Amino acid sequence: MTSLPLARRRRGRQVLRNTVVGWTFLLPNFAGFAVLTLVPVALLFYYAFTEWNVFGGAEWTGLANVRQLMHDHSFRTALLNTIYYTVFHIPLTLVAALALALLLNRRLRGVAFFRTVAFFPYITSIVALAQVWNMLFSPGYGPINAVLRGLGVDNPPGWTTSADWSMPAVIIVGTWREMGYYMLLFLAGLQTIPGQLYEAAKVDGANAWQRFRAVTLPGLRPTTFFVVVMLTIGSFNVFDLILVMTNGGPGQSTLVLSQYIYQKGFVENQFGYASTVSIALFLICFVITIVQFLINRRQS
Amino acid sequence: MMKRSFAAVLGATAAISLVLAGCSSGDDDKGSASGPQTLTLAGWSFATTPEFKTLADGFHATHPDVTVELKEYDAANYDTQMVADLAAGKAPDIYAQKTLKNFYTYQNGKQLVDVSDVATALGDKVGGISSYQADGKTWAIPYRQDSWVLFYNKTLFAKAGVKIPDGSWTWDDYAAASKELTTKLKGSKAVGDYEHTWQSTVQGFALAQTQGATIESGDFSYLKPYYTRALDLQNAGAQVKFGDATTNSLTYQAQFGKQSAAMMTMGSWYIATLRKQQASGEADKFEWGFAPAPQLDKSTTGTSATPVTFGDPTGLGINPKIGKSKEATAKAFLQYAAGPDGAKALAGIGITPADTEAVKDTFFQLDGVPQDDLSKFAFTKHDTKPENPVSKYTAALQNILSDLHTAVMSGSKDIDAAITEAQNRAKTEVLNK
Repeated sequence: MTSLPLARRRRGRQVLRNTVVGWTFLLPNFAGFAVLTLVPVALLFYYAFTEWNVFGGAEWTGLANVRQLMHDHSFRTALLNTIYYTVFHIPLTLVAALALALLLNRRLRGVAFFRTVAFFPYITSIVALAQVWNMLFSPGYGPINAVLRGLGVDNPPGWTTSADWSMPAVIIVGTWREMGYYMLLFLAGLQTIPGQLYEAAKVDGANAWQRFRAVTLPGLRPTTFFVVVMLTIGSFNVFDLILVMTNGGPGQSTLVLSQYIYQKGFVENQFGYASTVSIALFLICFVITIVQFLINRRQS
Repeated sequence: MMKRSFAAVLGATAAISLVLAGCSSGDDDKGSASGPQTLTLAGWSFATTPEFKTLADGFHATHPDVTVELKEYDAANYDTQMVADLAAGKAPDIYAQKTLKNFYTYQNGKQLVDVSDVATALGDKVGGISSYQADGKTWAIPYRQDSWVLFYNKTLFAKAGVKIPDGSWTWDDYAAASKELTTKLKGSKAVGDYEHTWQSTVQGFALAQTQGATIESGDFSYLKPYYTRALDLQNAGAQVKFGDATTNSLTYQAQFGKQSAAMMTMGSWYIATLRKQQASGEADKFEWGFAPAPQLDKSTTGTSATPVTFGDPTGLGINPKIGKSKEATAKAFLQYAAGPDGAKALAGIGITPADTEAVKDTFFQLDGVPQDDLSKFAFTKHDTKPENPVSKYTAALQNILSDLHTAVMSGSKDIDAAITEAQNRAKTEVLNK
C-alpha cells in the first residue's frame, strides 16, 4: 500500500533532480543568450513603435515610425543600395569561392600555402584592409589607376570617391575578403563527394565539364544552399566594411541599411526610429531566407 | 505537469534575475556635506588632451579637501559611451560636452543640472556660454572656446615671395594667394593650401559669415559661393583633391606640419599641437603664424573690425545623479574651470580657454607660439559663431549636410543639384517629418 506513493515520490525527486541538472547545464549559455540577445531583441519590437532618445521612458507613438519609414527617401536609397550590393556580391563571391575551392582541391605542390593565402583576408582586421584598399583605389596616387592609365585608360574611375564607382569598389573588396571563407566551406563540401562517382562518370565518358555539372554541383547542393543563405544575410547586414571605406559616401551612394540604422540610432539618438528600420531589415532577411528554404525544399 | 511548471518558473526566474542584474543601477555614493569630497570628471584621450588633469589638479590646489578623479573615455566614441553610462546611471559627476551637436540630447534628456547661477557669477567674459542656453536656463559652462583661424607658413611665403596675410583678406584674396603660391612653389612638394576633409572647413565659415543663414531654415543656398571657391582651388591644383585626402587618410597635422601646404584654416587647438610637434620633431621646423580667417567681404576685415569665424565651445555639465551635497562643489569646479584661474592654467598648456583676453600674456609667453601682432589679434578678437547651433534638428541636418559635402567635394554632384537634394531631404526627413 505504502510502497507505490513512495516509489512515485522517489521518481518525482529523480525527475526534479534531472531537470535542475539539465537547466544548470543550459544556464550559462542561456543566460548569455537571454541578456545579450533575447531581451534586447524583444525590446526592439517595443521601441520600434516609440520615440526614444535613450534617456527616460520611451513615448509610445503607435504607427508614426512606420508611416515615416514609408515616406523616408533615405531609407529607400539605403534599401536600393543594399540590394545593389547583395545582387552583385552574392553571385560574385559564390563563383569566386567555388572556383578557388575547385582549384585548391587538387593535389598541388604548396596547396596548404595557397589555401591559407586565400583565407587570409577573412581573418585580417577589416579596418586595416579597408584603409589599404582605399589607398589602392586612390584616384590620384593609387596603383590601380596607375595601372589602368598604363593600359591606356584615359579617364580611370574615381572608385570610392565617385558616386558611380564607390559601390563597385566596395563590392570588389567585399568579395575579395569573403571568398576565402566560403572557399573553405566548399572545400569541406567537396570532400564529402565520393570519388567513385567521378570514376563512374569518367568510365561513362563524361568530360571535365560534364563531371562538374553532373557530379560536383549536385554533390555540393547542401553546401551551396548554406553558402547562399549565409551570403544573403551577410550582404543585407553589410556594415563595417562600408563604414570604414566610404562611410556611406560620396553623398549617399553607398549608404546601406545597417549603416542607416547606426546613423539614426547612435549618431542622431533616434533609437525608436532606428528600431523600426532594424525591424524592416529583419523582416526582409527573414522573408528572403524563408523563400530560399522553400525553393531548396522543392528542389530536393 | 509539475516538471514543466517547475522548469518554467526556474527559467523565468533565471531570466528575470539576469535582466535585473544587468539593468539595475547602483546608487552612487551620496557623499557628505562636510569633510573631504571626491568629484569624478569625464574626459577623453588623457595622453593627448592634458586639460582635464590640469583642471583637476588646479582645482585641488585651491580646494585641498576636494579630489577630482578622472575617468577616461574613448575620444571617437565619447558621446555613445557617455549616453550609455548616463542611461545606466554610471556616469561621472561632471562630464564634458565634447561636441555641441549632442548637447541637445543631454539637455532634452534631462541629463544636466541647471547651472544658471554659475553663468551669472561668471558674467559675460566667458565666450560661448549662450550655446548652452535653452528654456531660459544655462545647462553647461564652456571652459574652452576654439575659433577657426588661418595658419600660414612664413618660410614658404618668403620662399615664394608672396605677401603674407595682413588681416584684410577676403576669401577671394585667400584663393588668389593660394594659386600664386602654388605657381611660385612649383618644383617643391608644397601647394597653396590644404583644406581638410571635414564638412566644417567649408560649411562652418559659410554658416557663420553669411548674414541670416541658419541650418534650421532648411535653405542651404548660402553654401554655394563657398563650395564654388573650394572646388575652383581643388581643380586649379592649389589644394589636394578631396578624394585623395580621404582615400589616403591624410592628416591636417602632417599636411601643414610637414610643409605640404603653405596655408590652412583650422581651429585654434592646432596652435598647441603644432608647437608640441615642432618641439618633438614630428613637424618640420619653420616660421609660422596665424591670421584671422578670411572674410566674406571687406566689411569685417582689417584690425579695426571684428572678424567673423566659427567654432564650438567645449563645456562642462553636471550629472543630475550627483546628489545635493556634492552639487555645490561641482558648481564650484565649473566656476573655477571657466573663470580666470582655470583659463590661466589652460593657457599655460597651450589651450584656448573660453576667456581669451584674460590669458593673452600667459599664452604668448609659451615657447614656439608665434609672437607677431596679427597672431595676437587673431587669438583675442573674433566673433565666433557656433558650428552647431543648438536645436533638436541639428544632428540630423548636419548628417544631410555631410552627405552634401562628400558628394560635392568628390565631384559626384554639382553644387546646385546637391543643395536642392539636401533641402528636399531636410524638409521631408527632418523638419516636416
